[in-house]
Amino acid sequence: MHIPDGFLDMNIALVYYVLTAIVVGICIYKIKKDGINEKRVPIAGLVAAGIFAAQMLNWPIPGGTSAHFVGGAVAAIILGPFLGCIAMTSVVVIQALVFGDGGITTLGTNLFSMAIVDVFVAYYIYKFLSKKNTKIAAFVAGWIGITLGAINTGIATGLSSTFQYSINTTVPIMGIWHGALGIIEGLITVAVISYIEKNRSDILYISDEAQNKARGEKR
Amino acid sequence: MNFKNFVIEHKQALLVILVAIILSPLFALAADAVGYSEPLEKSAEHLGAEESPIYGGILPDYSVPGIDSPFGTFLAGLVGSIVTLIIMLGVTMAIKGRRN
Repeated sequence: MHIPDGFLDMNIALVYYVLTAIVVGICIYKIKKDGINEKRVPIAGLVAAGIFAAQMLNWPIPGGTSAHFVGGAVAAIILGPFLGCIAMTSVVVIQALVFGDGGITTLGTNLFSMAIVDVFVAYYIYKFLSKKNTKIAAFVAGWIGITLGAINTGIATGLSSTFQYSINTTVPIMGIWHGALGIIEGLITVAVISYIEKNRSDILYISDEAQNKARGEKR
Repeated sequence: MNFKNFVIEHKQALLVILVAIILSPLFALAADAVGYSEPLEKSAEHLGAEESPIYGGILPDYSVPGIDSPFGTFLAGLVGSIVTLIIMLGVTMAIKGRRN
């Protein structure tokens, strides 16, 4: 899902840079305004480092078409949408600048897919479904988050001349393949979140948020 | 926050990350063996789109120039995870605002 340089027309790349800058700006504003509990700082660092490491594990699926874990849902559920977006932004920027994974001109688009679409879609799915069942919620969040992120990649490439403006080909290829492979993302997400829920449920954003609300009401 | 306390308090998470980094060369070899290719590459191939790289990175493709592949992958993973940890800690400290 990391688009390399050369795949996107410059106007498309620029539009995504602007959109991404706006959303990341809003995230920073929200974080500064709401504040983060001191004890969540190390967790944010560890989540980002863990996602970086997990992204290095390419799933070796025989037959050719494969993918790797992206982690937007894990970031969103543990850190919340705003800090989760910043964590994914750190990962994707480091991948591009240090490892040449994903291009420079395409960085805005790659951030939009993995740090914005994946994270926010996953967060709201989890928030909505977790009232019924947190395991199903984590699975669906991981699965749909990654699929819609991939569809955004399909849209950006499909609007570009190098892909012959074939959005009606790129979107189905990205959506169907990542929709199928996204089941693995969903399973990893539910495994990670269930483990944390069982052992350290206090670090999940939703329980942190609820605690703070309760504290605020008592005051 | 001092380094020693950080490691002690979060040893389990650090261990999980370390295990992933240690396993990463195996996954890289396995991916090579099955001809790893992502949907985006399929899509590009199908429509004849070609990359035009302008920048390779400091550790191109998660490898260390001059070091053989599996150990290079491990080193790249270690460096990347440490850099990500430090950058994210720094960014979070810088934007965390004031709470309570």
